[in-house]
Amino acid sequence: MNEDELLRAVGRLPRSIEPPRDLWPGIEPRLRRRRHWYWIPLAVAAMLALVVIARSIQTQPAWDVTMLAGRPLLGNTRLAASGRLRVGDWLQTDDSSRALIAIGHIGQVEVKPGTRLQLVAARRDDHRLALARGGIDATVDAVPRLFFVDTPAGTAIDLGCAYTLETDSLGNGRLHVTRGEVAFETGPRSSRVLLGAIIQTRPAIGPGIPYVEDAPGPLVRALVAFDFENGGARAARTILALGRAQDAMSLWHLLQRVDPTLRAMVYDRLAALVPPPPGVTRSRAIALDSRALEGYWTKIHGIHFRRMILRGVREIDPRTGTTRRHE
Amino acid sequence: MAPPDDLVARAQAGDQTAFRDLYRQHVGRVYALCLRLTGNSGDAEERTQDVFVRLWDKLRTFRGESAFSSWLHRLVVNVVLNERRTTGRRERRVMPVEDPVTVGGAQHTAPLQVGLSIDLERAIAELPDGAREVFVLFDIEGYAHAEIAELVGIAEGTSKAQLFRARQLLREKLAG
Repeated sequence: MNEDELLRAVGRLPRSIEPPRDLWPGIEPRLRRRRHWYWIPLAVAAMLALVVIARSIQTQPAWDVTMLAGRPLLGNTRLAASGRLRVGDWLQTDDSSRALIAIGHIGQVEVKPGTRLQLVAARRDDHRLALARGGIDATVDAVPRLFFVDTPAGTAIDLGCAYTLETDSLGNGRLHVTRGEVAFETGPRSSRVLLGAIIQTRPAIGPGIPYVEDAPGPLVRALVAFDFENGGARAARTILALGRAQDAMSLWHLLQRVDPTLRAMVYDRLAALVPPPPGVTRSRAIALDSRALEGYWTKIHGIHFRRMILRGVREIDPRTGTTRRHE
Repeated sequence: MAPPDDLVARAQAGDQTAFRDLYRQHVGRVYALCLRLTGNSGDAEERTQDVFVRLWDKLRTFRGESAFSSWLHRLVVNVVLNERRTTGRRERRVMPVEDPVTVGGAQHTAPLQVGLSIDLERAIAELPDGAREVFVLFDIEGYAHAEIAELVGIAEGTSKAQLFRARQLLREKLAG
């Protein structure tokens, strides 16, 4: 046989040869199995996604609420023992009911009688309530600026603390810090409230100047007049006349709120009560230089905390923060 | 039965009934190629099944850029050659002389060639693996040497040498 004959024979070979038996029964089960395996990773992924979503729904946007007294209203439901406050939910207490809210994992809020509040945000970096009216006792163990309470007069910002906050539905309120420090802000107006200090709030104005809880009544009245009653220079002079070394926190705030023509007078009184730290000059402080103000605040802050923490243990000189020696 | 294009589309969408119809349409061509490439009916059955299982997995990648039969043909060659490469089965598979239908197919299947065709099928099956693969791909299936070199993983010159060797061996066997 030559090559041409071979190739002609090859050309006559059948293109198709049926197998001696039906092979489909050996194929079909393998298709099912492969399709099954094909879907398993997708099914597992879908299940995982559902679990993650369910867990995030369960844990993130809701805080636990426990009834302490009476029958607080959670949404439209009377709280019998405990429940979940979800973002957007309102919690309301009447005159005889109280509740305890867990602020995620960073603290708790006791809701006083006659209070209406809403959970606004429950994120890791923003735990936020809106206090429409009533009062709360908040305790937070976290880094500053994680817990916020919006009120009609402004926002209380936790700086690592415990405090009592009360307000009416218009924004007339009061913040009393019992541990650490709180800032209260309304637009550009801000007050720093230290341990043992109080501020009052008013609608459309925001936070007043903070004062220590043992501040003399006339001093408090002068501060209220200055902050909320257009007391002006007269009220400022009264504050300066009545202010003591332990009221340096109030004078530091007053310096930034008085008419510029009165700043030198405020500074001089503050410097007489608590001498400024090195690096803080009169001119820079009067010019409201932020570094000068912060430097001064750091000193006032340090003396204040030392005095408050050692209260009843040692007598601390409110001018210097050092222990007073009795001859 | 539905038109081939429709069957392919339905099978691509996961319709197993359509895929079974595709199998019915193409199993003869697939088995023939497997049989000639492997030289053994048992291996050819296994590879044919492998091809259709692989086809089920790969069907979604068929974009219609070539005829489906050409695309499937290429898949068959890849499956058979990959199997041989991975298992390293190099031994010659010699069809039992007393059972010629195992080369040409079952008795109930058509169109079984007689005489020279049966002898030729048997002779092809008896070729060494490398020579048989090149002969089948070049002389029966019409691949170019460059394609065969790429498919089989040999040099183009080796493909030509294997073809020369295969033709010579076949002529000798058929002349005897």
